[in-house]
Amino acid sequence: MKNKLLIITASYVFAIGCNNDKNQSEEELIKRAHEIHSKVLTLDTHADTPLRMIEPGFDMSVRHDPKETGSKVDYPRMKEGDLDAIFFAAFVAQDIRDDDGNGRAKSLCLQMIDSITTSIDRNSDKVGLALNPDDAYALEKEGKHAIYIGIENGYPIGSDISNVELYFNKGVRYITLVHSSNNDLADSATDPDGMEHNGISDLGSKVIGEMNRLGIMVDVSHGNDSVFYDAIKISKAPIIASHSNAREVTNHKRNFTDEMLKLIAKNRGVVQLTMLSNYLREAKPNIKRDSALAAFRSNMKAVSEMNVDERDDYRKKINLINKQYPDPSANVGHVVDHIDHIVKIAGIDHVGIGCDFDGGGGIDGVYDVSEIKNITVELVRRGYNEAQIEKIWGGNLLRVFREVQAYAEKVRTNSI
Amino acid sequence: MYQWFLALFLSSSVTFAHPLRLSLCEIEFYSKKNLLSVNLKLFLTDVNEALVFDPYSKELAFCQPNEHSDADKMLMDYLNRFFYVKFNKKKIGLEIKKKKLSGQGDNTALWIYLEKSVEGKFNSMEIKNAVFTDLFYDQNNIVYIHVNDESKSIMLNKETSTYELNF
Repeated sequence: MKNKLLIITASYVFAIGCNNDKNQSEEELIKRAHEIHSKVLTLDTHADTPLRMIEPGFDMSVRHDPKETGSKVDYPRMKEGDLDAIFFAAFVAQDIRDDDGNGRAKSLCLQMIDSITTSIDRNSDKVGLALNPDDAYALEKEGKHAIYIGIENGYPIGSDISNVELYFNKGVRYITLVHSSNNDLADSATDPDGMEHNGISDLGSKVIGEMNRLGIMVDVSHGNDSVFYDAIKISKAPIIASHSNAREVTNHKRNFTDEMLKLIAKNRGVVQLTMLSNYLREAKPNIKRDSALAAFRSNMKAVSEMNVDERDDYRKKINLINKQYPDPSANVGHVVDHIDHIVKIAGIDHVGIGCDFDGGGGIDGVYDVSEIKNITVELVRRGYNEAQIEKIWGGNLLRVFREVQAYAEKVRTNSI
Repeated sequence: MYQWFLALFLSSSVTFAHPLRLSLCEIEFYSKKNLLSVNLKLFLTDVNEALVFDPYSKELAFCQPNEHSDADKMLMDYLNRFFYVKFNKKKIGLEIKKKKLSGQGDNTALWIYLEKSVEGKFNSMEIKNAVFTDLFYDQNNIVYIHVNDESKSIMLNKETSTYELNF
């Protein structure tokens, strides 16, 4: 209700401003938004950029053109976007769940973590490894970006719980329990075979206990709804969703229902909004492109009669049609629609941002990390003030992180 | 120890029309077994687009009773242009041994298992994986390499389509 009032008031003030000088008001709004963006600590909780780091020759210190390479994050663009801190996720795709598979997953995960720390070492004038909430602020003061490490998919833990401490010692500060298919810890929201554990398994429960003991945040993104409810019950510290949205706004099983949003508020946790078009809005058919492609295909020679040169020629023409009529992407308005909704249901203290760059994230206006200021502009346009924006852009996540560490400290000192 | 029934991998954003352009590949070589095996996981819509210029084409009907008699040949013709494994600079003639489908709708994946017996002492392995870079500028192909007891992951794409591993 308070937020609605703020939005209405801000819209009214903005409308009056527009009546006087529309361009000037827009310029002023952007200027104010950029000032706020610069002032608050900005933290993105989810980027799959380590997948880029394992590309032979990929250099994080060089600016890449996202429209040419598809790359969404590098250090020059983090500077352009004024992103102070980021969680790079070490991701290992789900594979065979036996001792051999688990061993390989561990080896691949350690390689991904090493790729992050190597990149930090090579660019120590620009970035620093962050292990605790306050490290982000300390590094910002030094003029450096803070790099936190997460693990996306608990698969590399295997059945050996001691691996949790190994990863903690390597710098990991959140673990996404599961990815796009079920693992030994938990059920995925998107496994075509459905539920296997009815949420979190006994092993998953023990892993959460170990994460709590060490001070690693429990990430429930990608888990099914039962995983969410189980995690809330099992974890002794607040939980996070490093990249998930609101299901009431966009009906997708990776997004959270209003009931879940209310519960995460009660848990003192946080949902980090992600920039994946299909989680942000319902996709509409691309009628112009589909008609153009259908017309082209109807005049095409039979595929079996084409030689290689003809195939390449057809490919070029089809690519041209796709370029001419691209799928309409979600935009920053959709992002803030989700933020508005989460604020309305869970409150301003339980929402943040996890773009999922280099993992499919990127929309109109926030295509890569260099454009994240546009989120702040839209927040200001909707009437959010500096204190609220500070919470959304990192304050909330770091509050949860502190609580998670405080719990671990209590365990360490035997005060629990 | 390569097993066919790998659990489903789909990337974080793989949903309708899977906006993240990604494929997964596992290459396994155990020198004692003298066997090179490759498991590719590709989105079926991408395979159809690449082979017959229509993501929703039913023409090739992979893994269905009415699978097109030339389906494997067309698949290998495409793969031979965009994918290879070389030992000691020599391309290995991989053969399709199995295929299967997993997932539903636009998330349906085609798994292609290829293998070839290889004998000799090898000093190097070179991998090219540029599948679907002819369709999408931002296609990324994750490659997991397992050689004897060592595992490594790399990302290959349009800009960097090959990788060489020296033993």
